[in-house]
Amino acid sequence: MTTITPEISQFQPTRTTSLTFTGVLRSEWIKLRSLRSTAWSYALVVTISIGMALIMSLAMASGLEGGPDIAGAPVDQQAQFVVDASVFGVYFGQLVAGVLGVLVISGEYTTGMIRSTLAAVPTRRPALAAKAAVLFVATFVVGAIATFGAFLVSSLVFAGIDVSANLAEPGVILPILGAALYLAIVAVFALGVGAMLRSSAGGIAAVLGLILLAPTVLQMIPADWAHDLLPYMFSIAGMGIFTSTTAGPTADAFGVWLNLVIVLGWVAASVTGAAALLTRRDA
Amino acid sequence: MITAAGLSKRYGAKTAVDGLDFTVHPGRVTGFLGPNGAGKSTTMRMIVGLDRPSAGSVTVNGKPYAHHRAPLHEVGALLDAKAVHTGRTAENHLRAMAATHGIGERRVREVIELTGLESVARKRVGGFSLGMGQRLGIAAALLGDPATLILDEPVNGLDPEGVLWVRRLVRSLAAEGRTIFLSSHLMSEMAQTADHLIVLGKGRIITDAPVADVIAGNTGTRVRVRSPHASQLADLLAGPDVSVMRSEAGLLEITGVEASGIGDLAAEHSLAIHELTTLNASLEEAYMALTADAVEYRTEALR
Repeated sequence: MTTITPEISQFQPTRTTSLTFTGVLRSEWIKLRSLRSTAWSYALVVTISIGMALIMSLAMASGLEGGPDIAGAPVDQQAQFVVDASVFGVYFGQLVAGVLGVLVISGEYTTGMIRSTLAAVPTRRPALAAKAAVLFVATFVVGAIATFGAFLVSSLVFAGIDVSANLAEPGVILPILGAALYLAIVAVFALGVGAMLRSSAGGIAAVLGLILLAPTVLQMIPADWAHDLLPYMFSIAGMGIFTSTTAGPTADAFGVWLNLVIVLGWVAASVTGAAALLTRRDA
Repeated sequence: MITAAGLSKRYGAKTAVDGLDFTVHPGRVTGFLGPNGAGKSTTMRMIVGLDRPSAGSVTVNGKPYAHHRAPLHEVGALLDAKAVHTGRTAENHLRAMAATHGIGERRVREVIELTGLESVARKRVGGFSLGMGQRLGIAAALLGDPATLILDEPVNGLDPEGVLWVRRLVRSLAAEGRTIFLSSHLMSEMAQTADHLIVLGKGRIITDAPVADVIAGNTGTRVRVRSPHASQLADLLAGPDVSVMRSEAGLLEITGVEASGIGDLAAEHSLAIHELTTLNASLEEAYMALTADAVEYRTEALR
């Protein structure tokens, strides 16, 4: 059989733009802010953080339930109470950040969007990296708004009993920023888990299970190894970033920086696992 | 230009695509036909790197898709009308896709207008009909003004006006020298749209030829006979190269004998004939003949 090739010159593309990482970052930013689940999640993080700070600081300032005598405590310890009340909401906010992190990628798998994403970025890893970067920055900014807002509310309440904390003090500003950082880290860790499991339900169950359940289970196991393992758990080390009172490791605590290293190890495992599977699997 | 060499895809023990060698040339519409499960969609996904071939390779304009600096300018693909997040508006979906390649807001507006999505562009995709979803998929494929277009079942779910629109669109894009690779289940649609056909069955290429050749080469002429003595006539005609089909009482469809032969035979035996018509072959019939042995999911003919 003969093949007839019409005498038409091949189409020459006139476009001059090309695929860049900056472009992929912009694309992921458009994607993140154009979903209602993002707005809801972030609004919830801020609301929980400020609401919890209000409840906690009111309870602490009124000395209810046999709490510590804050106004009578030494001045250098008073600031710690304000900080504790300010970061309390993160215990709940981390669950929201985890759910959001999973949804950012599992939503693409369940709707089929991932095929559009990977057709536009066929090398794949830049798409995951851009997602992680955008999610990290956005969650950190929202987390900072949440924790600074919580600090403001707590400070107002504690001012009623003449207790105050100075944001310029490293012991105050670092936990406030550390709590926001932890929220951003949870989101990126959850993104990796969601990318590996490719399912909203599975990803959320895995992330919440690890944050909430794993430490509880370890505490119930009556063995030394379980006790030794506990501080290495994602959420235990993660909350150590902003609740640890020492910068360096001591006999009974890892300290801020070692906790941060442990948590970043979890994130590295999650994200590299996701990257490896993303390039190997069919979309 | 799309070039496949020994392209294969296996899922476990099942071979979905089995050693395809083909070239899709620019400047014409190449139709991709085959029964369900023949491997059309898998082949198209491998072209844009979504599925990794088990063996062989496929290139677009000389390079694997993923090696191009601007993939969306090389290939626009509609692989699945549902490859869109349902919670996002059509406009934001297109913006996000365009942003990866630095394609501006103007082009986003252009493809929205071109595909007639202006009135729904700010609505979330979850509420779209199948037809609107197809239009959005085509809009996304056109974003990069690509030299090659891959469209998997583009007219699926479109109304007649939409079907006509797609036909004109792909014809005009091919006339500009672009490579168009189009799959469809609608044979009549393909006959009007495609210049060239690649027919797939059970993961293998059955035919790779111009549409006219496919029609001419794969259908025996059929003759319709209406007679009150239909069964008698059928017995007389029976032979190794002749097939006789009874569709209703008194009506026969015969392949393997010319109309003149049937008329002579009837006259010889003094059997009355009320109708004797030679039926022209269509692409549909050519396709059925070609893929008869390669159908994965067959529906038994109604008796």
